[in-house]
Amino acid sequence: MMRVKTPPVVWRSRNHRYKLVGSKCKACGEVRFPPVHFCSCGGEVEEVELPRAGRLVSYSIVYAADEESRERSPVIMGLIDLGVTRVVAEIVDASPEEVHSGMQVEAVFRRIGEDGETGVIAYGIKFRPAVG
Amino acid sequence: MYVTRAVMEKIDRHYERGVKDLAAAVAKKALEGIDGVDYVLVASSLSYVQEPQLDLGAHIAYSLGLRGARAISVEAGEASGLAAVELAGALLKSKASRVLVIGVDKLTNFTSAETYAQLSLLYDEGVNMYSSGFGSVAGILMRLYMERYNVDRLTMAHWPALMHANAKHNPYAMLRFAIAPEKVLEAMPMADPITLMDSFPLGDGAAAILLESRPKEALAELAAVEAAVGHPNVAWSEDPLHIESLALAYGRLSEKHDLREVDVVELHDSFTITALMILESIGLAEKGKAAEAVASGRFSVNGDVAVNPSGGLKARGHPIGATGVYQVAEVALQLAGQFPGLKVEGARKGLAVSLNGFGSSSYVAYLRGVE
Amino acid sequence: MPKPEALTGIHGWGAYVPRARISMVDIARQWGWSDHQWKALGMIEKAVAAYDEDATTMGLEAAQNAVRRAGIKGEEVGAVFFGSESKPYAVKPSATIIAEALGITPVTMASDLEFACRAASEGMRASIGLIASGMLKYTLVVGSDTAQASPGDVLEFTASSGAAAFVLGRAEGAAAVFEGSYTYVTDTPDFWRREGAPYPSHGEGFTGEPAYFKHIMEAVKGLLSELGLRPSDFSHAIFHQPNGKFPVRVGEMLGFRQEQLKVGLVTPQIGNTYNASALIGFARVLDYAKPGERVLLAPFGSGAGSDAYSIVITDAIEGKKGLAPTVDHYIRAKRAISYSQYVKMRRMLVK
Ligand SMILES: [Zn+2]
Repeated sequence: MMRVKTPPVVWRSRNHRYKLVGSKCKACGEVRFPPVHFCSCGGEVEEVELPRAGRLVSYSIVYAADEESRERSPVIMGLIDLGVTRVVAEIVDASPEEVHSGMQVEAVFRRIGEDGETGVIAYGIKFRPAVG
Repeated sequence: MYVTRAVMEKIDRHYERGVKDLAAAVAKKALEGIDGVDYVLVASSLSYVQEPQLDLGAHIAYSLGLRGARAISVEAGEASGLAAVELAGALLKSKASRVLVIGVDKLTNFTSAETYAQLSLLYDEGVNMYSSGFGSVAGILMRLYMERYNVDRLTMAHWPALMHANAKHNPYAMLRFAIAPEKVLEAMPMADPITLMDSFPLGDGAAAILLESRPKEALAELAAVEAAVGHPNVAWSEDPLHIESLALAYGRLSEKHDLREVDVVELHDSFTITALMILESIGLAEKGKAAEAVASGRFSVNGDVAVNPSGGLKARGHPIGATGVYQVAEVALQLAGQFPGLKVEGARKGLAVSLNGFGSSSYVAYLRGVE
Repeated sequence: MPKPEALTGIHGWGAYVPRARISMVDIARQWGWSDHQWKALGMIEKAVAAYDEDATTMGLEAAQNAVRRAGIKGEEVGAVFFGSESKPYAVKPSATIIAEALGITPVTMASDLEFACRAASEGMRASIGLIASGMLKYTLVVGSDTAQASPGDVLEFTASSGAAAFVLGRAEGAAAVFEGSYTYVTDTPDFWRREGAPYPSHGEGFTGEPAYFKHIMEAVKGLLSELGLRPSDFSHAIFHQPNGKFPVRVGEMLGFRQEQLKVGLVTPQIGNTYNASALIGFARVLDYAKPGERVLLAPFGSGAGSDAYSIVITDAIEGKKGLAPTVDHYIRAKRAISYSQYVKMRRMLVK
């Protein structure tokens, strides 16, 4: 199977994956996750921790999940508005019936992949429905 | 510059042939009776994962017996084909007078599950790191479209139905059978609300066009190609349903050329939602109205503008890096009155629209008929 | 010179319990067991970690809550102790992942501890020494487990998932201060998991008298005699909770009343979270405790050993309670799952 989450790849992205760190333009304030090197306005960027609460704009229930994810299929993917920017991320701790556009969600730290059964584990941010 | 030859292979599961075999089949026909080309451009994308060969362009050029030719490999994901055509145009304007563009790709060396996983590489790492499946982003966008514009699922199913109706007549199409819109809803869910019938079949293919700066005769004139890069991650778009890179490329083209009353368009319907977003991003339909326009027949061969008379990615097929070359070949043949499928009678102006993902890059080629 | 315990306190506490719950009825039905078998365990339902959760992810959320309540910066923490018997990696620490995510790296101690269910508690005892000696300002102690149970084993009713974490530091400004601590260990093979084995094995009744009861009683009695305290001096007592019945019985045997055990008894609702078992109970006690109250905490680990701590709540606790979600928040935020979903989530499908 296609190996993409090798140790150097998983390791060098740990800062933004673990802490939901994105980039923020020093000139116009535009925020991006995952972080970019330059803003689309051409400005320089700095690292910034993103808000951990957001609103689900839209979502998809993915049945034909990748080989790596088939065991946990269906996988729910969402477009999330964090106020300062939007992110596409997995939605967890919810059944397909419970998910709806407009629902409040919060960031959680989860496994996002593995380099095979004996390889390194990649961790990162997903989102779950916010509770009271 | 002009398109003088246009050759296509039927898109299919060509288990018996590899990338070089497919490329050779179309290139040999395109070069029949021609004494040499200045450049060979080879557009391919998924083959780098499925049948890995680096410096593919040189390997293919040599396998064609073109020792000493100049060869360049072009990879731009799903837009590789049109990217190669754009590069060919630039070469014809500077140092070349005859360029062979080959689009070739392989999608069937692996199981469909593995192939779909590989296709996730078309999208941003920020999305595909979740290994959630190829249709994820398209599913998010389709639901956004349906909820924002209050369009029901069945209305949107008219796109795949139209593509199948068109492909039925195209001898190079992979899926040559008609379907009712209702069948799209009954198909296996892929990335709800998307079903497998909203997306393209997995098939291999190859197409070749010969481009010349001053030929004696030609199929069509390649008037211009424009391109732009855009948000690789839909989360970053001000409006995720608007393809900014495409609007930009199309805008650049329309500043220099009169694109009103285009007769035929071959566009990149990787999913039903992609087709609707493209139609709205280049102004062929109002925002939120494309699905209804498709259902009303506006884009049928006898409608206002014929869109994807080939059957499109949905039914003709989508051999990723080769598709843009198919599109230019099809539009050129339409303008020459020689397309072997549904013909757009008296077509004078045509567009080929290709993009990667949902617009990490977009390309638009404008072709005109010749006397 | 004061005891090291008196110089050390708890500045922040936090818990995490995954949302999914499977009921005892569903597990019993799966194997055709009668109701009395699980009713004897004093259990209602147990928490199940999701497919993409492990001891590290759960431990991090508990640790985030603890750090939030402590109101400190990551770099102020000088040691991360991670106690678990369900480490995602047999070799490679979880402590460094948690330290990285909290901004504690790189100048810190960090290690994973193993002593069945009391590994994290050992981290707490070691922290007392490290802090009292002045060597470190703060330590982070995390207990987290996605407890494994062989399908069809009686353990399947109780083995669950959860995490608890504590930021320890100098007594000044702490929400609770230690008064004394005591450890009692012997070589007792009541419960174990061999290298490479997917599920633990246990000695059934042997886990009771010679293991759980013996070690907890010796540790608690040792502590009480050292401090000259009696059970009635404590407002709350929390014992390791392998099921709903053992902690109640050991409390009775030691002379504690039901009311003293009530607040810290969480296993009936969430199951046995192993390294987090007594510690989530302790976190819940801190959610409710009043300044001046005295708390007895006695974790136990197979193999076997028990610690006993006497802890006194300070005025600082009130200002910290609202800074992070409570244990009850996690107990209430739940969703029911079926046995087949449980199998899928815990990766028990045989391929
Ligand atoms: Zn900017």
